[in-house]
This record gives sequence, structure tokens and C-alpha cells, in this order.
Amino acid sequence: MATKKNVWMMAATVVAALMLAACSTEVKRVGVEEVIDISGAWNDTDSRLVSEEMIRDSLSAGWIDRYSLSLKKRPVVIIGSIRNLSQEHINTNTFVNDLERAFVNSGRVDVVASKSERGDIREERSDMDLNATEATRKAMGKETGADYMLMGSINTIIDAQDSEQVRFYQVDLTLVSLADNSKVWIGQKKLKKEIKNAKFR
Amino acid sequence: MSIAPCSAAGRDWLSRQFFGPLVCMAAFFLSGCATYSVGIATVEQQTSNRDLDGALKSLDELKLTGADQMLYYLNKGTLLHFQGDYSASNQQFEAAKSLMERLSAVSLKEQTGSVVVNDTVKAYEGFPYEQLLIYAYEELNYLQAGNVDEAAVEARQFDIKQRLVAGDNPSATYLSGAFVRYLNGMTYEEVGERDSARIDFSKAVDGYEEQSSLTGFGVPASLKADLDRMENPQAMKRVTTARKSSGVEVQSPDLSNNGEVVFILNDGLGPTFAENIIHVANPDPQHGAAIMSIAVPRFVQRPVPVASFEISGGSGTATSELVEDVNAIARKSLDDRLPAITARAVARMMVKNAIARKAKNQNGDSGTGLIISIVTDVGAIVTERADTRSWSLLPGNILMARLVLPPGTHDLKVTYYDHSGNVLATREFDAVKVTAGRRVFMSDYYLWPARPHRK
Repeated sequence: MATKKNVWMMAATVVAALMLAACSTEVKRVGVEEVIDISGAWNDTDSRLVSEEMIRDSLSAGWIDRYSLSLKKRPVVIIGSIRNLSQEHINTNTFVNDLERAFVNSGRVDVVASKSERGDIREERSDMDLNATEATRKAMGKETGADYMLMGSINTIIDAQDSEQVRFYQVDLTLVSLADNSKVWIGQKKLKKEIKNAKFR
Repeated sequence: MSIAPCSAAGRDWLSRQFFGPLVCMAAFFLSGCATYSVGIATVEQQTSNRDLDGALKSLDELKLTGADQMLYYLNKGTLLHFQGDYSASNQQFEAAKSLMERLSAVSLKEQTGSVVVNDTVKAYEGFPYEQLLIYAYEELNYLQAGNVDEAAVEARQFDIKQRLVAGDNPSATYLSGAFVRYLNGMTYEEVGERDSARIDFSKAVDGYEEQSSLTGFGVPASLKADLDRMENPQAMKRVTTARKSSGVEVQSPDLSNNGEVVFILNDGLGPTFAENIIHVANPDPQHGAAIMSIAVPRFVQRPVPVASFEISGGSGTATSELVEDVNAIARKSLDDRLPAITARAVARMMVKNAIARKAKNQNGDSGTGLIISIVTDVGAIVTERADTRSWSLLPGNILMARLVLPPGTHDLKVTYYDHSGNVLATREFDAVKVTAGRRVFMSDYYLWPARPHRK
């Protein structure tokens, strides 16, 4: 009888342990390059693949050298709008920031603050006029004008039926000359995913 | 452990196997139903009194989890939308969409539960018309927050969802999402996608025509004017005129020089379902009663207070048009589902009868057998409940008015009229910024204060 009771006690303990394990939050650190697809939606891996392709292509294309050789200075780029024309709410800042960082760190391209960023800077400069010393004050009207604007879009084509989907993403980035609207670089990255959702849960 | 079915111990074990769980489930599900219907009534009452903080608190206190999780997301998203907290509202609707996707997979456990206990065991995934309206509310949230690009994302998502819904319900032409298409068209126009706008305006027109026999109204005149403007490029230069069903003429907006206020009213509370006990012949009369009582949902229409509204600002005035009859579509949706619900209920009663029969046979005519017989019969009856869940805070109707105004800041006045033409309420919206060539989206809701006409 006592043995039977012990068996029940053990079983209850195991069940309780399993239930507690299932209830607790589990956090596991993973490498940023590890591919983890959960829902099939746009994720960090897609962003990274776009970044890598755009950085490689933009820095190896000839537009930087052509500009530097003819004008003997580095081209200046400003980030414009990256239109999300897809079916998903996609944060484009992740790969745009990667590209911006690559431009600056390469030492071959200068980047100036974008429209959304410069408001704060101008406000600060205006504040300096009142509060900063003459020696440290930064004057208005001395900003660097950009030579090129980075613009782009994300487009998707989705084909879905029942629990299956094929998602095609195309990210296009373009550098447009602010002087004459000519396009000096066009980068493109295409991604395709097949998603099969479970029919049973 | 071995079981001797004829022994007293065996009978006790069988009792526990069949009746304990049945009674427990009955108690659990009955209490769940009562809590939701009572609790949501409190939420609705607070909403009608414009006590949205109180309504949100009451909704949280309902603790809608598990099978009712979707109801929490939908109702909370709606309350936050009414409150003007568009970002938080969209978090709820996104959660609802994510859950909707997960629930599209079949759960064998829930399917079995719905045949053995009742349909409320199944996780609520929303009627198809409710699922389509999630996109409209999320899109509207983005539009009201001034984020047209993200609103366009919702429009594109809706396109995929609507195609899937239409594929699953090929004969249900009323699931075209005409109103959402209409909204999508305006959104696409805002982001400069004229082709997409034209296509969605056109699909909206088709949708309104297809559902007109159901809803009793056709294509909104303002939509006709939009489509005309899109399909005839020269119409961009002229101001086209269309006639509303009420006889009032509307002009397509000269948006190049003016802006437009699009005002959407959530009118009344929409569909709710009550339990209807119906009696059907037992397909297996040798076992159980010849007539079985089954519970199925019954549509209950709630009063829609506002017949029309008028929006005015500066020298301009616009009257509303009906753009979505949620009640009519909900009624038709339930009618279409009812045969399957009824068939499942009949199957359920047969399963319950079989369980009861087995239990009675195994316990004979003894005192215990009599008690078990009573308990199984009572258990079968009390667990037989209709699934009366719905997105409770959806409106009964959606009305829309579009007012063309010159660029600048305008104080707007909106007046709601009942079906006798009496003024129900007037709301004022100060300092609305209108920009040339752009639309400003606004919304409100109106419910009967303190529900005077309900019993």
C-alpha cells in the first residue's frame, strides 16, 4: 500500500514539475546571425540579408570613385524615405542604419542627418544661440548639403491558399543626385519564402 | 490497476469517470457563459456612458483567456480605438490577427470537445465578417494617427485575407468586405497608389451591389463619385455628381485645391446572440428520448440609435451615408452557419445519450443507478449550451460623411439624428487641420445612454 502511495506521490511530483517548467519563461541567448523563422513574416534575418547585399553592392559600385575622382572630395549622402509598399509592417530602419554605418565607417562616403533627425539638431543649435558661450556656439547656416539622396521601397507579392503561402520580397534602394535627379546607384535584394502553416494544432 | 465493473468500487470509479467530469464541465462552462454575458453587459453600459476607462477596467476584470482570448483582444482594441489610443488599439488588433492565424489550424481536442460538451469549448476565432472588420479598425487607427503608409499595409493584408475568406465561403458574396474596400480605396489614394485605389473602389462597388439584397442599400454615392473620378482621368478636372439613395446629390471632392474630412460613426451595438432551445427528433430513438432538446444561437438585434448625422465646418455641410450594415451581415452569417451548428448539436446529444445509456446499463436499477441516471441526464442538459459569443462592441451600423473644406484649421460640429429626425447628440471637434489634397480621418461612436430600450 505504501509503495502504491509512493508511486502516486512521485507521479504527482513529476506532473507538478512539468507544469511548472511549462509555465516559466525561458530565455536563451542566440547568435545574431542564427536563422530563426517563427511565423514566416519579415524578420531580422531578412533585414540582415538585405543589409549585407546593399552594403556590398553600394560600396563596390563605381559611383563613389567616379565622384571622388572628378570632384576630389567624398560624396555626401542623405537618407530619404524608404516606402513600405508591402503587406507587412516592416521597420526599414534596421537595414538603412546598417547601410548608413557602412558608408560612414568606410571613410569614402559622408552622411548627413536626415530630415527627421535634423529638427533636433537645429533646435539645439538655436538653443546654443541663447545659452552657449561665443567660443563654443555653432552658427546657423553652415550645414553640409547632400549630393545624393538614398530612396527606396519594399514591395511584396504574396500568393496564398488555405494554409500555404509564398511570399516574395523585393527591396530596391536608389541613390539619386540632388543636382540633376540622375540615379547613380540602384541596389536590389530579392527574398522568397514558402510558408506552410500547420493544419492541426 | 484492474477494474471489476460489477463491484461497488467499479461502479464508483465509473461514476467518477463519466459524471464527475460532466458535472464539473457543466459548472465550469455555465459559470463561464454567465460571467461573459454579465460582464460584457457592464462593459457595454460603461461604453455607452462614455466611461471608457471604466469599460477597459471591467473588460480586464472579465479575465477573458483561453478559448475567449480573441474576445478580449477584439473588445479591448475597440475600446482603445474609441478612446483615441490608436497605437495601443492596434497592438490588440495585431494580437487578434496573430491569434486568428493560429486558430485557423484545426484543434482535434476542441472539435471533440464541441461534440461531447458544447461549442463554447472551441477557441473563439471570430465570424469571417468580424475577421474582415479587424483590418478596417486597424487601418482606421493608422489613418487617424496620420500614418497612411501603415494604413496601406493593412489594406494590402486585407486583400489577402478577404481572398482566403471568399475561398472558404464561395457562396457568401456578402463577405466581400465592401466597406473595408471602400476605406482601402481612400487609403491607397492617400499614399498615391491610384491604380490600387481604383481597383478597390471598383471591388467595393461590386461588393455593395452583391450584398444590397441583404442590407437594403446599394452603393454609397460618394463611392460612385470616387470611382468615376478614378476611371475618367478628365473627371479630375471637373467635379462629378452622384445621387445618394436619399436623393441628396454629392460631389466628388476637388481635392487638388481642398482637403476632405472623412468622418466615420460607429452606430449602436451590433450583433449579439441568445440561446435558443429547439426540439428535434432523435435520429436514434431506441436510445434516449424520441425528442431531443438542443441549444443553438439565436440572433438578437439591438437598437441602432442614429439614423443619420450631419457634419459642418465653415460654410460646408455634409450628410452621412450608410456604409456597413453589420447587423444584416451578422444575421446572414449566423443563418449560413446554423445548419452545421444544429448538426453538431444533434451529434452531441447522441453522444451524451450514449454516455448516459452506458452508465445506466452498468449501474442497473439500484439506488446508485438511479442517482447516476439523474446526474447524467442533468449533466447532458446543463452542458448543452449554445455558443453565443461575438465581438460585442462592434457597431450595428457604420455611417460615413465626407466634408470638403479649404485648407486651414476648422472647428467641426457633428449632429446625430434618430429615425424620427430628432437630435440625439451634438459633438464638437475643434481645430481640425485640413491640408490641400489630403484627407483627415475622424471617428466617433454613439450608443443609447444606459440602454433604456433593453430588457
